[in-house]
Amino acid sequence: MSLNPIAERYVRADNLDDVLRTPLDESSAYFAGGTDMVPLQRSGVTSVETLVDVKATGLDRSIERHGDRWRIGALTTLAELEDHDGLADDVGAVRAALRQVATRQIRNRATIGGNLLQRPRCSYFRDAQIDCWMKGGDGCPARDGLTEYLGVVPNDSPCIAVQPSDLASVLVMAGASVEISSASGTRHVDVADLLAGPTPDRRSLHSLKHGEIIRSVTIPTGNHSHSTYVKAMDRAVWQFALVGLAASVTLADDGTVSKASLVASGVGSVPHVLAASAAALVGKELDDETVRTCADLAVDGLRPSRDNGYKLSLLTGLVRRSLG
Amino acid sequence: MRAAELDDLTEAGVEQVGQPVRRVDAVEKVTGRARYSADISLPGQLVGVIVRSERPHATIASIDTDAACAVEGVVAVMTGADATQYAWYEDDEPLLPRVGDTVRFVGDDVAVVVAETESIARRAAALVDVGYDDLRPLTDVEHVDDDDAPTLLGNEEIETEAEGRGDVETAFARADVVVEGTFRTPTAVHNAMEPHGAVADWRGDQVDVHTSTQGINDVREHLARRLGVDHSQVRVVCEYMGGGFGAKQVPWKPTMLAVIASKLTGAPVKVMNDRRSENLAAGKRNATTQRVRIGAMKNGSVVAIDAEIDTEVGAYSVPGEESAVQGPYLHLYQCDDVRVRTRRLRSNLGPAVAFRGPGYLESTFVLESLMDELAVELGIDPIDLRRRNHAGRNQQEDVAWSHPDGILRSYERVAEESGWANSFDREPSERIRRGRGFAAHDWLAASATPPGHATVEFNFDGSVHVGLSAQDLGTGTRTVLGQVVADAMGVDMAHIRLSLGDTSTGPPSPTSAGSTTVPTMAPAVRAAALAAVEDLLDAAAEHLEVDRNTLSFDGSSVQSTVADLDDQPLAELCADLSPRVVHGWGSKEATPDDVSPRAQGSAEAEVEVDLDTGAVRVTRIVVGPDCGRILNRRLADSQVLGGVTQGIGFALTERQLVDHHLGMVMNPDLNEYLLPTASDTCEIVHAALDIPDLAANEVGAKGIGELPLLPVPAAIANAVHDAIGIRFHDLPITRQRVLDALSARDRSTTNDEQESS
Repeated sequence: MSLNPIAERYVRADNLDDVLRTPLDESSAYFAGGTDMVPLQRSGVTSVETLVDVKATGLDRSIERHGDRWRIGALTTLAELEDHDGLADDVGAVRAALRQVATRQIRNRATIGGNLLQRPRCSYFRDAQIDCWMKGGDGCPARDGLTEYLGVVPNDSPCIAVQPSDLASVLVMAGASVEISSASGTRHVDVADLLAGPTPDRRSLHSLKHGEIIRSVTIPTGNHSHSTYVKAMDRAVWQFALVGLAASVTLADDGTVSKASLVASGVGSVPHVLAASAAALVGKELDDETVRTCADLAVDGLRPSRDNGYKLSLLTGLVRRSLG
Repeated sequence: MRAAELDDLTEAGVEQVGQPVRRVDAVEKVTGRARYSADISLPGQLVGVIVRSERPHATIASIDTDAACAVEGVVAVMTGADATQYAWYEDDEPLLPRVGDTVRFVGDDVAVVVAETESIARRAAALVDVGYDDLRPLTDVEHVDDDDAPTLLGNEEIETEAEGRGDVETAFARADVVVEGTFRTPTAVHNAMEPHGAVADWRGDQVDVHTSTQGINDVREHLARRLGVDHSQVRVVCEYMGGGFGAKQVPWKPTMLAVIASKLTGAPVKVMNDRRSENLAAGKRNATTQRVRIGAMKNGSVVAIDAEIDTEVGAYSVPGEESAVQGPYLHLYQCDDVRVRTRRLRSNLGPAVAFRGPGYLESTFVLESLMDELAVELGIDPIDLRRRNHAGRNQQEDVAWSHPDGILRSYERVAEESGWANSFDREPSERIRRGRGFAAHDWLAASATPPGHATVEFNFDGSVHVGLSAQDLGTGTRTVLGQVVADAMGVDMAHIRLSLGDTSTGPPSPTSAGSTTVPTMAPAVRAAALAAVEDLLDAAAEHLEVDRNTLSFDGSSVQSTVADLDDQPLAELCADLSPRVVHGWGSKEATPDDVSPRAQGSAEAEVEVDLDTGAVRVTRIVVGPDCGRILNRRLADSQVLGGVTQGIGFALTERQLVDHHLGMVMNPDLNEYLLPTASDTCEIVHAALDIPDLAANEVGAKGIGELPLLPVPAAIANAVHDAIGIRFHDLPITRQRVLDALSARDRSTTNDEQESS
């Protein structure tokens, strides 16, 4: 039996400070859960020569509550996050989303840090033989091709891939932020800003710079009455969201909505914040009329292509379902 | 002994047969000890990795192997230049293309890198530099009739095969109602857990081939023909198999490439497909477009069926493609006027091959969707409509079915188990709709495909060895044939061993396809077992010097009616008889010609449809397959679970996605080719019939493999129609299709309201 290495070199780093001090050259990448990196390397979509494994560097793998914040170490697996009762009681959408992410086997490997940094799951991107802009090529063959799984939120890049993470929408909904370290220090960025659509000079779904490492994710404790995540797939489990929706609602004593946040997955290159829909709930009771208005507003400004008009119906339906 | 000489196997003769005996190899399988082809590891074994075409249709301009050859650990890079004498697929198509030859689909085999490890071979394969001169591809066969469509191999002249009877147009003229539609079924991929592949090892002038196949004899004969050697110079072994579903009923290129790579390098060579290759180049179910009309009278009597079918066969014609898409239209219902016209269209996609009920699954979906529509239109209960159109005979050949009423018994059992007569709540909540649907099916095979031969001999300790060269696909052949032998001889199953899965261990057995292994080999092993008992009594009579007619055998000892003769315990007797080998030969050499063996059945499905999200959830499926005598209920149930699950996949999630601009398959993996998961299945009920069909063969067992699959997609689609009133003509029924259809209906309802107000 011979193993097939996925890169030329593998370095197991044991000290985070050393890792951060050592410049990461362009042909190297950090490696933790590997649930995305392994298939990318195997299929030849990426050709990273050196993998720097950061699992033994002392990066945190923990879930702690500090006052009004949850601090989650970057190496925490999705399964550990899913299993945390305190977090589930506080921000229900986290467990609701994670239960529908991939499979338990994958959740046992995948880390929260890596989950936010996935490359596009667009099948044109994932085939090494296909020339696509996101991989450094010219145009987007998907635009004239099969768009059933692709984006409906207009953007300025040639790419119509969607942000694949379910958890990302939950984190944006909850106002989470990430702590990022590099040789030049540490910075804090909202998840909503970390996850950024591609631009002409940045062909990725996030704004993390080469050589930076996510150290932790901070989620404000649930200051809402209820939150959830609903997800539509073509089969019951183990598919990236056709459309997903993270929703949280806070009710005032009189039963009206005092605060709401709705963020959709599967429709755009970033978690898509449904600001108008959320605003339409505030000050209202969650009656049929309000829910209908909220659902109708969810699809404002979306521009489907040949195969993905259904995503608009689906988004409307998921808004109704999440508030029902 | 010929099976034709056997007495019918009646209830009096069965003890082990019919019992839910555990698989004899269950422990080996669950503990990982069972050896599959990829587990074979011979001393000095090399690994071959196939370089595949990146273009859908191109002439090879150049093949540069220098960089690949230079990689340390690479032993050889085999191209068409090393294999000029070998053809594959079709007799004048090269096994590997040379410069100037044509590649015909993305994934077509171009070269093989042979190296010391798979890792090295994979790295070197990426360095083989192939130059292509692109030709215009055709991957969407809807455009095959365009004036500028490229001429593909086999599409030079497109023939229409016509079958049927009577005068369809006249019959339609007198029909009270006509239901019709154009339906499309997708390309589905077998995606067996174990890929195609082989380990080949030349020893002198003969080659051992360990390969994952449904037909070890067929592989042997095919390879011998291609290599120009005697059948005896090729030994094919398939000890265990991890799924075939039809895709492994013929040999494929990886096997032949392993054989010639082993010859070239003088070492054992393993070539196994990876998952991408399985999805691109290892067979698939044909995609079809079917334009179908059915005419009927007000009383439900079907008077005319007309079907025009295009079926996509891929770039090459594979022996064993066998899509019998015309079958259900010709056979399922009593109808004097039927016409089926079929075109088999080539494309620049991977070749099609048989897939569990090939052709039948596709057209059963269409026929049974339209029968459902007819039932709705005429206000006749769907099961009653089918009863009214019962066909008890093969109308094409004018001969009765082996079990003419089998399908009627299936209707009864399925109706009973599903509670068809009970009321059914179609609106459990405001945004959820429920529905139930029914479908029937025919199946052409499930009977014997002779010749099937077997030997049974007593070892000198009285234990029993059965020799045959069938193979066990994982369906339980080893177990059920052991049960048949046990009952024929009365010997405990613990003392019976079967050698199979090796062309060198037994006489010819057929390929396991069309669920024909049990109907062929069960009579053969029964005949061999009874012949061995006869031989035992002959030998005992001689040895004991008594009249043969005074002796009998009860499975553990030979007894005599002669007063002073003690019972002869089997072990002692066999030892005494040594060196004489007590044995019997059995053969199944013919199928009946006075009846048409047939295995039919039906299914009921229940679904929930979520109006908000378009989700279709199957909640219960009942199937009633008329598989004849059930030899082992546990294993039959296993086939039911697998078949129904594949039916759910075909109805709801599985399809190969092709980008016709690029000419490429976009989901050649298990991420996006959506096999149903355990969560997609439901309560599955086997409404077992267990009616021996002794007109079909001497044991009365027909195959079951295809049966629990065939009616399921139509039953699900009919249930969806029952739930939301929308009939889907295209499979699979995805979220996109459900939501688009619901939106379209909402729009037209809104328009109607506006117009009327």
